[in-house]
Amino acid sequence: MTRKILHLDLDAFFCAVEIQLNPALDGKPFAVGGRPEERGVVASCSYPARQFGVRSAMPMSKAVRLCPELIIVPHSFPAYHEASGKVMDILNNLTPSVEQISIDEAFLDVSLLAEDPGAIAHRLQAAINDQLNLPCSLGVATNKLLAKIANNIGKGAARGGHPPNAIQIVPPGQEAAFLAPLPITQLWGVGPRTAERLEALGMHTIGDIARWPQEDLARRFGKHGEAIALHARGLDDRPVEVTHEIKSISQETTFTHDVSDAQLLRRTLRALADGVGRRLRQSALTGKTVHIKLRWDDFTTLTRQITLDHPTDQDDEIYAAALRLFDQHWPPGRAVRLLGVGVSGFEEPHRQLGLWEDTGSRAEQRRLQATLDSLRDRFGDSAIQRGSTLRKPRKRRPQRPT
Amino acid sequence: MKVSVLQENLAKGLSIVGRAVPTRPTMQVLANVLLETEEGRLKLAATNLELGITAWIGAKIEEDGAITIPARTFIDLVNTLSRERVDLDLNVRSQTLRVHCGATNSNIKGIDSNEFPLIPQAGDDPGIAIPGAVLREMITQTVFSAATDDNRPILTGVYTRVTPEKIIMAAADGYRLSVRTAPLEIGAPQSLEMIIPARTLSEMARIISDEDEEVLVSIPRGRNQVIFHLKNVDVASTLLDGKFPDYDAIIPKSFSTSTVAYTADLLTACKRADIFARDVNNNAKVTITPADSPSAPGLVRLSATSTERGDADAIVDATIQGDVQEISFNVRYLIDVLNVVKEEQVLLQSNGPTAPGVIRPVGRDDFTHVIMPMSVGR
Repeated sequence: MTRKILHLDLDAFFCAVEIQLNPALDGKPFAVGGRPEERGVVASCSYPARQFGVRSAMPMSKAVRLCPELIIVPHSFPAYHEASGKVMDILNNLTPSVEQISIDEAFLDVSLLAEDPGAIAHRLQAAINDQLNLPCSLGVATNKLLAKIANNIGKGAARGGHPPNAIQIVPPGQEAAFLAPLPITQLWGVGPRTAERLEALGMHTIGDIARWPQEDLARRFGKHGEAIALHARGLDDRPVEVTHEIKSISQETTFTHDVSDAQLLRRTLRALADGVGRRLRQSALTGKTVHIKLRWDDFTTLTRQITLDHPTDQDDEIYAAALRLFDQHWPPGRAVRLLGVGVSGFEEPHRQLGLWEDTGSRAEQRRLQATLDSLRDRFGDSAIQRGSTLRKPRKRRPQRPT
Repeated sequence: MKVSVLQENLAKGLSIVGRAVPTRPTMQVLANVLLETEEGRLKLAATNLELGITAWIGAKIEEDGAITIPARTFIDLVNTLSRERVDLDLNVRSQTLRVHCGATNSNIKGIDSNEFPLIPQAGDDPGIAIPGAVLREMITQTVFSAATDDNRPILTGVYTRVTPEKIIMAAADGYRLSVRTAPLEIGAPQSLEMIIPARTLSEMARIISDEDEEVLVSIPRGRNQVIFHLKNVDVASTLLDGKFPDYDAIIPKSFSTSTVAYTADLLTACKRADIFARDVNNNAKVTITPADSPSAPGLVRLSATSTERGDADAIVDATIQGDVQEISFNVRYLIDVLNVVKEEQVLLQSNGPTAPGVIRPVGRDDFTHVIMPMSVGR
């Protein structure tokens, strides 16, 4: 059955909410984010600001150089969460099959609705425009990949200093043709490194990739290459996964070869704990329960958890608890197939201070963590790494977070 | 063995020793209570191998002897008997104890008393003497601060130091600390320190009665044990092994704000805040505002907010010197300490929202309690 998938993206969402909070900002170049003297980064910028070349994720100091009259507005996260919730309510009223990807982005599967998907997109856009006074763009296609790319193209086609409020439709059967002329970087999974290698082989458009022998891409890029080959042909069978309220954040790794080396296992545990900590901080969550998951070479799986005396989002605290569990439950030398770390039991942050605790060093630790996070936000997850992970043999096959 | 005792005395003796019976015994005989005739009295004893309690009750002895019988069974039975004479008659061959009281007759199967572990009793070891009421108060003022989880086993004990002049007890669970001292008339010949399980001391506080004018505490050399000798009860306990963390260094010596309030008022305000603080990890905000004119009182405000159920705000008049403070505390910790302050007024001293707060009874310098604040937000 041909599916009908919508991708919805709120246009310059933080800015749109800020305009509601302060209508004087409407039509002005402004950016939401931290101040340049505090090494702030642009989280979102208005369309008038974009005309000066200001982009999100750009250091605020650079944004101010590009646009000297740029107005800098601090975050109002509670207002963003509230507005986002109202948008999601509208989507959920249409269909239960909604996958929220971030605060301002979602996929919808409307295959079971009889109505034409383009008409549904127009209706949704009108509802969000009229009821919530928020601009939004939609991509309509037969799968998630195409819907998302279509939306990017639709938004990009808009010109001028105002929100695009675009709708881009890719009719069934037109997927490959739609993708063919697009530059390869539009394709999911093609980052700067992969793009460089593809360009070196003479592939400049997605059509070039689609024509390239699939086996050769698989040989050169492994599993990743197979995925790129399929995507370039407009094929993507991932379902829209209905998102629920987050109850737990976890990450796990399956080793390509079972591992019984304590050093490597602890190093992996460290990397997983760091990843979970980062996702907790990104989601503004703190949790009290830390669990680990161990799968042995015979596929039996063990899950063990520990409750902390306060909720945390700090890498070191998550790792310390995970390591304690690991040392308790891993018989030295036993081969491990899969290792996982997770945090649940979310609560408002609070902590009973300790009598023999050095509060200064703790604050210092939090500042360090925040600095690392902002470096990773700007330059990517691998921008800065632990010394212990640098020597990591390239054996692990990372999996999608669960 | 053939003895007669009063039901009342037997029930009371069993209620004291019964506390040492382990809930999950490692050996069958540990689930039993020992009954043994001794110098014209009936001795009752139970142990979990860490804590052993022995009690003596008055008895009329016709025939000496000893037996152990299941504690639970015996206690349940005795508690149902009428307040009369109870005759205990052991059939040695079948190791069965016949319990006769009024028209009631019961037979309980026992285990040979030789299988029961030896419980240390007070001997000629070095020790100290302390009035029962003083020891009981020292225990109630410290033991609640000891840790209840096993994360740091040493903190489940109460650090106890005896010198020729005084006794010091200190307990801390990592977040709060109680230190209590008392002078000794008969002190230790030389200073010595030990860490007594809080559980043992809680039992002691329960057992010490007004009859116990004096409690002898003896510390047998090289046995890692302490024995409390009361009028009719001996309590023997193993000590905890390890080093108690240095607590003197964490008691602040100077403060930016000192507050004196009525203990009962402050306690009521805390209990009111606690009703809502329950939903938010017991977190209550304490706002201390010095008087802005000499004629007006200073104010201590206790507030707690539960997003689901609502909030409470209680204001207590106080005499305040120093700066305005706003500090979050676990309100249960405040209630715990205010519950054991007997004085009419209490002194609360602080150096800010992340520094240890100190609570002392006004007019006494033998009790100090330290509480760390809670931090809220990121």
